[in-house]
Amino acid sequence: MDITAAIDEPAADQLLDTAIGLISLPPASGAGTLGPFFASYNASASLSSGDVDLIAPSTIRIQDFRLDWNLGFSFGFDLSSFLPDFCIPQVCIDIPCVGRVCTPGFCVNWPTVSVPVSFSDFVKVTADFGISITQTGGVWRVEAVVQGTPNIQFGLVTAGLLAAISLAITPILLAVPFIGPLLAIAVNAIIAAIGIAGVTGLLGPILTPFVSGLRIPIYDQPVTFEALAATSAIDPAVFVTIDDVKAIITSTNEDELVLTIDIS
Amino acid sequence: MFSNVLDSRSIGFGDAFGQRFMRPGTYRYNIVLGSTGCMVDERPYVVEVEKGGGSATMEQHSLVVHCDGRSFTPDREAITIREGDLVVWACPDPAAARFEVRGDKEFFGNARLTNECGYSHAFGLPGEYRWVDAHHGKVGGVVRVKDVRTDSCEGLERWRKRLAKGTLVLIADGKAEPAEVDIVTGQTVFFAVVKGDGISITDSSLVGGAPFAGRAKAKRR
Repeated sequence: MDITAAIDEPAADQLLDTAIGLISLPPASGAGTLGPFFASYNASASLSSGDVDLIAPSTIRIQDFRLDWNLGFSFGFDLSSFLPDFCIPQVCIDIPCVGRVCTPGFCVNWPTVSVPVSFSDFVKVTADFGISITQTGGVWRVEAVVQGTPNIQFGLVTAGLLAAISLAITPILLAVPFIGPLLAIAVNAIIAAIGIAGVTGLLGPILTPFVSGLRIPIYDQPVTFEALAATSAIDPAVFVTIDDVKAIITSTNEDELVLTIDIS
Repeated sequence: MFSNVLDSRSIGFGDAFGQRFMRPGTYRYNIVLGSTGCMVDERPYVVEVEKGGGSATMEQHSLVVHCDGRSFTPDREAITIREGDLVVWACPDPAAARFEVRGDKEFFGNARLTNECGYSHAFGLPGEYRWVDAHHGKVGGVVRVKDVRTDSCEGLERWRKRLAKGTLVLIADGKAEPAEVDIVTGQTVFFAVVKGDGISITDSSLVGGAPFAGRAKAKRR
């Protein structure tokens, strides 16, 4: 016997909204490049659904689903790479009734500093999902599985992150003796060295894994389950076995996700 | 990162200690890790002071201190000067530890600035520095260091020229003149002790209390 269930796009939208909201993405950590620097990072993210478009025969396109992310990273650099050698000159002072005294000049070796940065933002992603039907561990599972590697458009995120890096660098450099008037030059040089390419080069490998390989559960059902409970000794429980599950997207009068379940 | 601490009891990067020798004789000394002078008896280095030739001009002799871990040596282990001359010790190595010049006479050393000596400090960070005598004397003062913010080459050039101009604070009979000075980041203040009671020039934040009650409040960015 077959059971057929179908949902249209608004219903699919609602179903996937709920399913995506329940997905818990594991946090990530590692190391990457931020322009010419190495950065160690930890990141967490959460998903919320966008607009669902059912495309026959087997594609669920979710437009503008949202990936909210928190990123903490730190990177270090040698200030000497950005600032020229700097020397405090000899200072001579005339002391009344004593004479002229000169202090020795000295040159500043700019230190290596480490900058921690915290930043949160979101990106919107459009991705196509295929339909995966599996039976494992005695459970039939229908999932929407993202196809390929979604292309994340960072847009204004890069400017925001560069601004956050600039804000994080400033107080750290302010603690470096003698940097005072050279601060703006140093910050500008470091931000220029990172650039937009550096930011996307860091964010891409961190955020893409949150959405590539993404699986959205649509339907989970044990292969055998109790359909009717026993009511007496002579009226035992009725069990149903799902022999097969098929899912397809049809596009006749309207686009629908159709689930056909063969039971015995 | 090197420290930029205002404390004449130990000489760090950007500091210098100078001592005049007013009488002929042999003056022995050591250079040791900051504030440990009283624990070391050896005096391996010498300042030989000869009788002056009647010249009224003070001559300055600068010694460069080298640091190897916790060991310090001057670039000349023995020097000969004339009475009234000044010897200045400084270490140009930003990685070096702070040091103390410890002489065999009470007046000779930076732990307690007594007579005809001086301590210079280049202020690397902006803020308002209240300095006090860590040996509980009443002398003290304020150094206000203002940051110069510029992103133009002209502004930087003006700042660099200002760095060559020092500020003198004369200390005599328990008073500093002027008691309050204003400078910009990177400028040097030379504290010349004409006559003191074994004082120090120490940032008040390092000694807890602040006997000097100048107009300014202790404030640091």
